[in-house]
Amino acid sequence: MQTLEINGKKYQIDVEAEMPLLWVLRDDLGLTGTKFGCGIGECGACTVHINGQAARSCSFPVAAAVGTKITTIEGLSHHNKHPVQQAWLEEQVPQCGYCQSGQIMATAALLAKNPKPTAEEVEDNITNLCRCGTYVRVRRGISRSAELMRKQRV
Amino acid sequence: MKKQSFKRRTFIKTSTFAGAGLALGFTFVPLVNSATGGRVSVSGEKGAELGLWIRIAPDGTITLIAPSSEMGQGVNTSLSMILAEELEADWQSIKTETAPVNSDYKNPEQPMQLTGGSTSIKGFWEPLREVGAAAREMLITAAAQKWGVSVGACKAQSGYIIHQKSSRKLGYGELVEAAGKLDVPSDPTLKAPEEYSLVGKPVPRLDLPDKINGTAKFGIDVRLPGMLFATVRQSPVFEGTVLSHDETAAKSIRGVTAVVSIPNGIAVVANNTWRAKKGMEALNPQFQDGLTKGLDCQKVRKQFRKALDNEGKVELDSPKVLDLEYEVPYLAHATLEPMNCTASVTDNFCEVWAPTQNQEMSLDVTKEITGLDEDQIRIHTTLLGGGFGRRIEIDYVTQAVTISKNLGKPVQVTWMREEDMQHDFYRPASMSRFQISLGKNGLPEKWKNQLAAPSILKRYFAPLGWFGFDPTSTEGAKELPYAIPDFDFDFSMVDPGVPVGFWRSVGSSHNAFYIESAIDEASHLAQHNPFEYRRKLLAEKPRYLNVLEKVAQDAKWGRRLQKGHGLGIAIHKSFGSIVGAVIEISSNTSGRLELHNVWISVDCGKVVNPDIVRAQMEGGFIFGLSAAVGEEITLKAGRVEQSNFHDYSVLRMKSTPDISVSIIESGEDIGGVGEPSVPLAAPALANAIFSATGKRCRSLPFNKHGVKFV
Repeated sequence: MQTLEINGKKYQIDVEAEMPLLWVLRDDLGLTGTKFGCGIGECGACTVHINGQAARSCSFPVAAAVGTKITTIEGLSHHNKHPVQQAWLEEQVPQCGYCQSGQIMATAALLAKNPKPTAEEVEDNITNLCRCGTYVRVRRGISRSAELMRKQRV
Repeated sequence: MKKQSFKRRTFIKTSTFAGAGLALGFTFVPLVNSATGGRVSVSGEKGAELGLWIRIAPDGTITLIAPSSEMGQGVNTSLSMILAEELEADWQSIKTETAPVNSDYKNPEQPMQLTGGSTSIKGFWEPLREVGAAAREMLITAAAQKWGVSVGACKAQSGYIIHQKSSRKLGYGELVEAAGKLDVPSDPTLKAPEEYSLVGKPVPRLDLPDKINGTAKFGIDVRLPGMLFATVRQSPVFEGTVLSHDETAAKSIRGVTAVVSIPNGIAVVANNTWRAKKGMEALNPQFQDGLTKGLDCQKVRKQFRKALDNEGKVELDSPKVLDLEYEVPYLAHATLEPMNCTASVTDNFCEVWAPTQNQEMSLDVTKEITGLDEDQIRIHTTLLGGGFGRRIEIDYVTQAVTISKNLGKPVQVTWMREEDMQHDFYRPASMSRFQISLGKNGLPEKWKNQLAAPSILKRYFAPLGWFGFDPTSTEGAKELPYAIPDFDFDFSMVDPGVPVGFWRSVGSSHNAFYIESAIDEASHLAQHNPFEYRRKLLAEKPRYLNVLEKVAQDAKWGRRLQKGHGLGIAIHKSFGSIVGAVIEISSNTSGRLELHNVWISVDCGKVVNPDIVRAQMEGGFIFGLSAAVGEEITLKAGRVEQSNFHDYSVLRMKSTPDISVSIIESGEDIGGVGEPSVPLAAPALANAIFSATGKRCRSLPFNKHGVKFV
């Protein structure tokens, strides 16, 4: 038996140590907001926070997640109130939406540790794939998120 | 259910349900195919099974039973806006659910019930307005009768009927029962465009709040009690068969419960997708034979060359001639949500949850596999994590239904990315030759274009007796807007055996690259400015000219550029919309190219939601740019070499230029917006590369053919 702490809630599971966290979330715990895209950590659709750091859960063995605080898109905020989610709505970022959980989680983690990233830092850190081509709006969404977060702090 | 009088193209019909309110819909004329009697599969939703489109419940809830798959194009929002405009409803309160299979939901622009070809607004704009207007008039009549006042004294506004003099008002929900007993107006009055309060406004999309918190449900998110998880492996050589596999090894993996044969492959079923994947690794299936055995890219190119050589060349009598050869590779769709489908088959009922663009073929294949009648089959369309034409195919539906039928349990089949990459229906590779001669004025006098390409439609129509012609291959090339006195286009159908399908913008995805590169080359040979050159050739085409001039103006075409910078321009019409694009790039000291800015202008006739139009223009262009810069599917020994995003290079944010979009509201016929900006990216970029570096790239993707990007 393993215990995972996800979105502030404890879950008892019994799975292979090497099973990637993604599949525990999606198939065993029904937390389907975290998406499967590639299975090799290339696309970022499966991004979650492990102790506040962005991690690609398709390549993150569940054994390594035991004892950490895991946050998924479902636990990012209540009622879409996180500034990144607010910015995403303001800028009307998503199209199909499939990659957006990952884009949002990656952005939230980046801004939590670096509230005022340069354009270069943003582009080096947010490498998530989007096939609908929302990148122009993701970029605007990130900069709007940073603004909203600064306002919140004031 | 009453069927009302014939008007325009539709019958409006209505129905009331005890306690369920008013439902209205329409049936296209001809009503249904008389031979088949129309298609209706069941649905649990009241109204949907009757082919009805809107449902107004006694609590005032308005539901649009949306006929199109929502795959990111914002169609549920746009269609809700159209309905709300005529119905005078609070558009934000409109709920949408995707329609079941029923001929009444078929887009008149399509041969069957599917979403594709950028046709949703074009197909549903008029009938949806009529239904909305008819419902509005019925609600007004019901209120007027209740109050004993004239219809003219009442008006509809934001979900209420208001009697202006007495300031009395009733909500739609309070009126539905009475309204449902009325005759449907035979000729409801549609609002004039000047009266629109919603259509034409950049209102926020209805589906986005659920897409930022993980609650939006895609096909891969379907969860049913007792559901099993499967994954598949198909013959890497197309249409090969399973030679051997180790079932014992597979079943020794924890959680693996079954191994099931599927067409050209095999499935492993487990209690978790990852365990199914581990089971597949242990199963280690080996394959044999196949249609493309021994095929590689060189052989495909040889087939194209041979076909073009057979067409032969012409003698051109001019001091300025061009003799050009272009080519493009196969491309994958690589929707970010991998292929998947969930099915639950029992002896007398089957439900399918599919992220599909093609409801009707999903029903057909389910019927064929299960042997059930249509009224025993329910096809649920989930949200799609990208479509781009890949989900017009129904291979994933076939597999889920096959596996579930075999096991008698609900099963979700999910493809690993490797499977998705290697078993696509690819954008066809092709080759195109031009012989162009210029007249004394520098403009093209003779234009001979020969295209060699596989046919997409052949797969669909060959069983019915193939007719040797495929408009999806030739679209965008067989007719040009440019005034060219001697124009000739030939198409040679070549079939290397690689499965090909509809890839966002289809034939235009390659033909625009060919045509707009060739015309650019002609302009340079003539020593004309590429923008002015096109302008001269489009002098008789005012819509094109407006688009071209707008985008040139936005890009400040003709300005002095910084050292190393270049501008490329292109214009193309597809799916009824004309799009122009300019891209600015620069070459740095190490010869790498950076993409800076893109300007797009679009004339799509009428605009329902300008922000959605913008988003589609941006997204389409990026989709095209991604392919132009780095996407390529190659073949070796009959199989696809790429397997995941590490070797199928998709554009990331870092490489994406800024994009600005200008919309030209010409008021002309409605054109599509989901696809028409895709074709512009490759030629605009090729032309910009020439402008910045003097190098002409005639083969895609650019990064595999001598160009490096930042």
